Amino acid sequence: MITVENLTKRYGSTTAVQDVSFTVAPGSITGFLGPNGAGKSTTLRMLTGLTPPSSGTATITGKRYVELPNPGRVVGVMLDAAAQHAGRTGRETLALNASLLGVPKGRADEMLDAVGLAHAAKRRVGQYSLGMRQRLGIANALLGDPAVLILDEPANGMDPEGIRWMRGLLQDFASRGGTVILSSHLLGEVQATVDRLVVIGGGRIVADGSLDELLAGTGTLVRGLDPIGLNQALTAAGLHLEPMHDGALRVDATAEQVGRAAAAAGQVLLELRQSDGAGLEDLFFQLTATPAAA
Amino acid sequence: MTTLTEAAPVAPAKHKAQAGTALPPARGQAFLKLVAIELRKSVNTRSGRVLIGAILLIALAAMTWQITHLPEGTINVEAFLSAGSTGAMLILPVIGVMAMTSEWTQRTALTTFTLSPRRVRVQLAKFVSAVVLSAVVMTGVVILALGATALTGAITDHATSYAALGSQLTGAYLMMALNVVMGAAFGAVIAQTAVAILVFFIAPTAWSLAGPALFKDNANWLDVFSAFGRIAERNLNGMLPETLTAIGVWVVLPTIVGLWLSSRREVK
Repeated sequence: MITVENLTKRYGSTTAVQDVSFTVAPGSITGFLGPNGAGKSTTLRMLTGLTPPSSGTATITGKRYVELPNPGRVVGVMLDAAAQHAGRTGRETLALNASLLGVPKGRADEMLDAVGLAHAAKRRVGQYSLGMRQRLGIANALLGDPAVLILDEPANGMDPEGIRWMRGLLQDFASRGGTVILSSHLLGEVQATVDRLVVIGGGRIVADGSLDELLAGTGTLVRGLDPIGLNQALTAAGLHLEPMHDGALRVDATAEQVGRAAAAAGQVLLELRQSDGAGLEDLFFQLTATPAAA
Repeated sequence: MTTLTEAAPVAPAKHKAQAGTALPPARGQAFLKLVAIELRKSVNTRSGRVLIGAILLIALAAMTWQITHLPEGTINVEAFLSAGSTGAMLILPVIGVMAMTSEWTQRTALTTFTLSPRRVRVQLAKFVSAVVLSAVVMTGVVILALGATALTGAITDHATSYAALGSQLTGAYLMMALNVVMGAAFGAVIAQTAVAILVFFIAPTAWSLAGPALFKDNANWLDVFSAFGRIAERNLNGMLPETLTAIGVWVVLPTIVGLWLSSRREVK
């Protein structure tokens, strides 16, 4: 359980994060989205005690991060996969932290195995690719068997196979009651992975809700045998619509409303479904464009 | 220090159950554990090992030169000890500086301080670890010096002596510890390895050169090298206030400022 309340960070006269509040419940994966410079990383750093907030609080399982006696046993953190010493081997990196966390030495090898790095255990991290460093970072985060995961751009630099692997790992973690918050710029990946979204723009939370809820507003996609006739029929029924470039119509209404309006006008439908696809991308720009410009 | 003990986090279910082994309950991080971790960090990278190897190699080279250029008469172990420790005294403070700076330049501070958020404890552990490591390296130099003295006795006509060895060793270890703590303090204030090393070597030397010219005898108050020398010889020559002031300004003050700064510094 992560609780963020009225978190604010000011640097001189600029406010990087303003009055940010949200919660992440156990058993769910929350995507934390926002353009560069919107305050994502600053928020995650305040959450993990790396940056002191100007005001507000952030707690994990009810405690401020710095009050956790051995944080790695409660919360797994990966904020930057590149922040590992290039001169240590993968195994040594994990063994060092295993010792600090008070978990058995064998746990380092177990985790290397779990993230598919067993073959590279004895290689120095400097020789790892970015995707391998991400895997090592994930292994590090999981080392203490935490209940909470905080990951900044975990899919960055991973190949499609790695991204799919990580999606499975996170969904498995959440299904066991774990709490996950992750930030990402890969919107398609976010849409496929998360249950909830928190969107930040210009330092403020601009959206917070379940993925379904937030994407629901994007309406229904309908395609008819006679696009012009269908357009007139739906408009006459008082529905707001927007023609797509391929002749389909995106309607701000449910599939049932569209179907009934079309049937009443005798229009033949070829396709009728929930509008999706670029939904999250559209939502993202719609939500973050205004505050960023202000 | 308070070492809190807390039960494993209460979660409805645990991840990675397939790993099989149940982990021991979570405990706080004892200070000695932090010291042990810092020690391990300073020797488990190539650069750390190269630095230590270089100190020992330089000591060995100096002693080899010494053994082939022996003066007349009885050879005291001090000849080898001072030959070997000159280089060590120069490089060991770098171990102190790097103990504090490398986390920031390598960006591992991010991981270190997320796993141990009480930074002042971590930083203090780094001070202790740097002193312990330097003492171990110094001991290596001492063993080389003893070996060189024994070798001289065995293969040359010179008589050898170990007179006053105890007092020489006390002086050498004290000098080493003071230098390393001062290096670490500079590293804590200036989190850039190169800049911190530069300032560490230049600032006190510049003072010891410029100070007397500008302030005459009053410069003694801030001459840290003379203060170190007096402490190492365990003879303050009635200059206790000067010694304490110099140590206070060059060692204690940067230590406190460094600890304060690194506890507030933003980790990026």
